[in-house]
Amino acid sequence: MKLASNEFMQASSAALLEEDKAQRRSLIGQFLPLARDAAASAYGDFDGLRAHLKRVRRHTMAHLSHYLEQFEEAAVQHGNQVHFVADAEQLNSKVLSICQAHSARRVAKGKSMVTEETGLNELLLKAGLDVLETDLGEYIIQQAGETPSHIVGPALHKSLAEIRQLFLDKHTLGDRDLETVSEVVEEARGVLREKFLAADVGIIGANALIAEHGTSMLVTNEGNGDLCANLPPVLIVCTTFERVLPRAEDAMALQRLLVRSATGQPQTCYTSFYTGPRREDDVDGPLETHIILLDNRRSDILASDYSEMLDCIRCGACLNHCPIYIGVGGHAYGWVYPGPMGSVLTPLLTSLEQAHHLPNACTSCGRCAEVCPANIPLPDLLRDLRQDESVQQLKPARWRNGLRLHAWLLRHPGLYRNLTGWTMSVLGLLGKRRGAFRRLPFAGGWTGQRDFPAPEGGGTFMRQYAARRRRGGKRG
Amino acid sequence: MAESVRAELFARLREQETSVAPEQIARALAALGHAQPARATHTDLHTAFLANVLANKGTVELARDRGAAVQAIGRYLYQRFRTHKLVAGNDPRLAAMPWRDGGVLPRFGAAENGDSAALSYARLGVAETGAIVTYTGRANPGRNNLLPEDHLVLINREDVVSTLEDAWARIRHDTAASGWPRGIQFIAGPSSTADVEAQLVMGAHGPRRWHVILVGDTPAEVLAQASGGVGATS
Repeated sequence: MKLASNEFMQASSAALLEEDKAQRRSLIGQFLPLARDAAASAYGDFDGLRAHLKRVRRHTMAHLSHYLEQFEEAAVQHGNQVHFVADAEQLNSKVLSICQAHSARRVAKGKSMVTEETGLNELLLKAGLDVLETDLGEYIIQQAGETPSHIVGPALHKSLAEIRQLFLDKHTLGDRDLETVSEVVEEARGVLREKFLAADVGIIGANALIAEHGTSMLVTNEGNGDLCANLPPVLIVCTTFERVLPRAEDAMALQRLLVRSATGQPQTCYTSFYTGPRREDDVDGPLETHIILLDNRRSDILASDYSEMLDCIRCGACLNHCPIYIGVGGHAYGWVYPGPMGSVLTPLLTSLEQAHHLPNACTSCGRCAEVCPANIPLPDLLRDLRQDESVQQLKPARWRNGLRLHAWLLRHPGLYRNLTGWTMSVLGLLGKRRGAFRRLPFAGGWTGQRDFPAPEGGGTFMRQYAARRRRGGKRG
Repeated sequence: MAESVRAELFARLREQETSVAPEQIARALAALGHAQPARATHTDLHTAFLANVLANKGTVELARDRGAAVQAIGRYLYQRFRTHKLVAGNDPRLAAMPWRDGGVLPRFGAAENGDSAALSYARLGVAETGAIVTYTGRANPGRNNLLPEDHLVLINREDVVSTLEDAWARIRHDTAASGWPRGIQFIAGPSSTADVEAQLVMGAHGPRRWHVILVGDTPAEVLAQASGGVGATS
């Protein structure tokens, strides 16, 4: 997918002005956290579960070569072909060559963020293949020529009216109302059912790889991924090598966290474990199965101070709880992964130079770390990326000089207190009549959207604190 | 290409790891133990299972024995589709059922597009999540769970286990005898989506309805307790 994270500032400003979409986002920000909280508390000791998976992940990562080898061996024994690929280009051309080896024309895809990352569809379409996304949300945005705005609900930015018009334009099915969500889902079901049945190749992702059995776990509600895995004669699982977990029970722990954090369910409708091609006695299932394990800089991340980011299970909870994501939406981030997890991943998977705005898209409120099922210290990683940004001099000189001045001032507390005290007195005097400022020099970013309140009497916190101490009150 | 990518990746990983004997890794893993299951909704195993099936938007019914199960299936098919037709895998347990008594006409094999109802005999039920578990194969082709309008499931009382970990203990036991099936599917509800306006709709791509029949001597109060007065039985 084309990277446009450098335009974050402009894109987010524009997004704030789309009232209709902003309202839908704010609903996501209210509803999904409630669903997540209810599910987490119904579970019981959710923090204990998070800590357990963290321990399992640390153990797995410390012996990753062992578990990866075990996975590969078991998967091959079950009849899978396992391929290691280094980057996006290699993954895409591997998939294309498998399709071409079978003279495939039609490809049905389940939801896979990895193939969004590599831009697989574009290459397959260019090669003349008919590629169809089958997750309803992915299908909608594919038809609209858009990109996902959320990693779990890719089309949540679109209204029913927009989707209705899209379907009326794209499906030649004659006159129909298509006015309810049920009717829209029903129409997509009919259109996509034909595509599943006709597909030559199915492509899915994996939520986890289980080392002991060489099997991959797929978690969905729609069952579209399962249709992709069961109907076409060839199945390709596109995933990344660090998804591996030692035991099936570990995948169960992950699934308990994933589903509750993503949608607030205790279990999705379908949790499937696929282990290879059709067995001798089987009457259905693919005849050939491939598992493609992508690196794409993940081994670099593993060796860096950001290795904990690889524990991300793609639940989207940090998006739903992030004031910035809810404010500006997924598209402003300019790539596959938005929100806090995307603001860490995008610079690491592409380059900090191209994505250095994203780690700044953070108020350090800490909600993402509070809810992250993988216990990733997202605000810390974002701060470290901002530090890298500063070291690499990626911020404009005006910012850097401003920060330098600020740092100098902070190291001279007496001067700092006098200066802030003086500024407050002046602002208090100037704003006494209205109580707020409509415009202020150097603060256009603030006053462009709202008034700046004028300081009330009494002076700065430090001045009031000092005055109380002088009065001798120990409470001060 | 792939061979060198693989070799490079493993070399990089090993560079960062401290080399440890496999037995030692296994011991460290065992010491980590397993996760806690979710808090049970009921103390009785079967009540908890049925309550969770209902919470997963399934419908449930009790059948004392196989004969009663056939009768229940016959009634369901007639009420829903005014038909006696049903698709079922080549499961010996299904082949041996008294179909004629319930006026049901099963076709044994894989489901096709357009089939209204398919029946699976589940290997396991999981009380923790209200899921049933099937293995792909002749006894239950994978597509039978996915293609029909309605998915009917029989589950024996004694095959309901408490937690997901218990389910895997049983799966390990089964597969030690018969090898790994191509697919193991945990199913917990009809196919659903909330991708349009975050509104939940059943029947996204797979079954629109999911009907679970618990086979065995289960007191009627269990079902009443599980429904909690909601009355969501079929």
